[in-house]
Amino acid sequence: MSPGAVLEVHGVSKDFGALQALSDVSFAVRPGEVFSIIGPNGAGKSTLFNVIAGLHAPSRGRVVFRGEETTGLPPERVNRRGLAKTFQITNLFPEISVYENVRVAAQSRAGISGRVASLWRLPDVDPEVMDLLRAFDLQARRDELAENLSHGEQRYLEICLALATRPTLLLLDEPTAGMTPGETQAATALIRSIAADRGLTLLLIEHDMSVVMGISDRVAVLHFGEKIAEGTPDEIRRDPAVIDAYLGGADD
Amino acid sequence: MSNRTLAGAAVALAALAAVPALPFMSKYYLLLAFDALLFGAIAMSLDLLIGYTGLVSFGHAAFFGLGAYATAVCLERKIVSLWICLAAAVVVVGLYALLVSYFATARRGIYFALLTLIFAEVVYTFFRYTQTFGGSDGIQGVPAAELAPGVALDTPLKNYYLVLVFLALAWLTCRTLVGSHFGRVLVAIRENEDRARFLGYNVTRYKMGVCLVSALLTGVAGALYPGRSGFATPDLMLWTVSGEFIIMVMIGGLGTLVGPVIGGVFFVVLQEKVSSYVDWYFIVIGLVLVLIVLFMPKGLLGFRRVQGFAQWRSGQ
Repeated sequence: MSPGAVLEVHGVSKDFGALQALSDVSFAVRPGEVFSIIGPNGAGKSTLFNVIAGLHAPSRGRVVFRGEETTGLPPERVNRRGLAKTFQITNLFPEISVYENVRVAAQSRAGISGRVASLWRLPDVDPEVMDLLRAFDLQARRDELAENLSHGEQRYLEICLALATRPTLLLLDEPTAGMTPGETQAATALIRSIAADRGLTLLLIEHDMSVVMGISDRVAVLHFGEKIAEGTPDEIRRDPAVIDAYLGGADD
Repeated sequence: MSNRTLAGAAVALAALAAVPALPFMSKYYLLLAFDALLFGAIAMSLDLLIGYTGLVSFGHAAFFGLGAYATAVCLERKIVSLWICLAAAVVVVGLYALLVSYFATARRGIYFALLTLIFAEVVYTFFRYTQTFGGSDGIQGVPAAELAPGVALDTPLKNYYLVLVFLALAWLTCRTLVGSHFGRVLVAIRENEDRARFLGYNVTRYKMGVCLVSALLTGVAGALYPGRSGFATPDLMLWTVSGEFIIMVMIGGLGTLVGPVIGGVFFVVLQEKVSSYVDWYFIVIGLVLVLIVLFMPKGLLGFRRVQGFAQWRSGQ
């Protein structure tokens, strides 16, 4: 479809029984860009992420990541190829410290992981963990249990965990969900700058259009499981089908 | 592992080594002490599963019983080397544990518990209702094992020190494991298995690994049991025995290792002492358990759990 794409989604459909959550969705994400998927609640955005990240196998269609097919691979294998995901509903290790949360994520990429020596040795990932905590201003909270963090801090820790696995593509599922408008703005700027620093490609889900318009290079719109538009934020903003889905959809 | 931890362990080991020197230590008390440490070690190995990984095994009695039978069968055939007995137990328990964990780790929560229980009941039924290994009588009156040719472990005192050495080595194993890369992933699995997968961990492999370690430690404990009792019977594998192991871990405190050892000692001594006075001893034990769960939900040592994590870090 597009040579050099980091991620290619080819005609993906996903059925849950009679419900067709996704139908024939295709798009490609280029290296280094911020690609957003927007759509009203229930449009199939999270299902699409789950298919890409390996939680669900698609009913039809293919997912190609960095030129290799990953359709149907389990999440741990997809992650090891360089794709990390954050969750819409905060999904941490609640009863261990902030530091331990990031450590267990970071050590997944230490050379010892999966070897017999990992039964008695503990890799030193301290510099990496502290770098991440500092980037999200969590270093003072390192010994706090993850469950005791504020909502905003948990959202940041969520991203730390994903980044600690050194992804090339980061999937963010409504990273600013539940944040105040002020927090959302700060978080969006932070995410953008960290992605740029690390040379990451971002694939972002949002239902709040205002969040994505400022930071996205390209946007795709999902509506009832179908892609109804794709383009730059400006093109999307003027697209009649999108306006209809977001505004007209409110009537029915 | 920090120096403080090692120093504490050395003190505990020295104190336990001095126990037989106590003035009232009769043969009876030595045997009781043997049981206390043996079941303490088993509870500790079960803690790897329950406390650290969040997997409740309801079938640990089978690992224990198979280890005991492995030794008893060897001894009955006049193969008296302790090392051969232990090797036999490791092979038998290891193969069985691989089989159980392969199927059980495919499911979570109550299903994992049920699968381990069902496998254990199959093993129990086989030993109890076929005559292959003596049926309900099991294997009785086996000779003592030998540490080396001519060095028989034929007194309660020698067996006490044997189980003490085993407990120390088992603790060292568990402690090293939970402080390692592997151990941190186990805790992550306990906390949030799905998220661990999205961080690139093949959680099934980790769960099978910890099942194997826990089962082998329990099996080796079982292999030491005929040395003390002279027998292996199917009753060692009753599901109530598995339940008692879980209770020991709960009493002691999940995810503390040392807690379950204390829980095991506490349980064994309480059961022995109360049952020597009244037949309905389990009512008393039940009452004590209810009180512990109500007022010390994290067990006798549970309050140290979170603190423990901070200590590992500072101890590196």
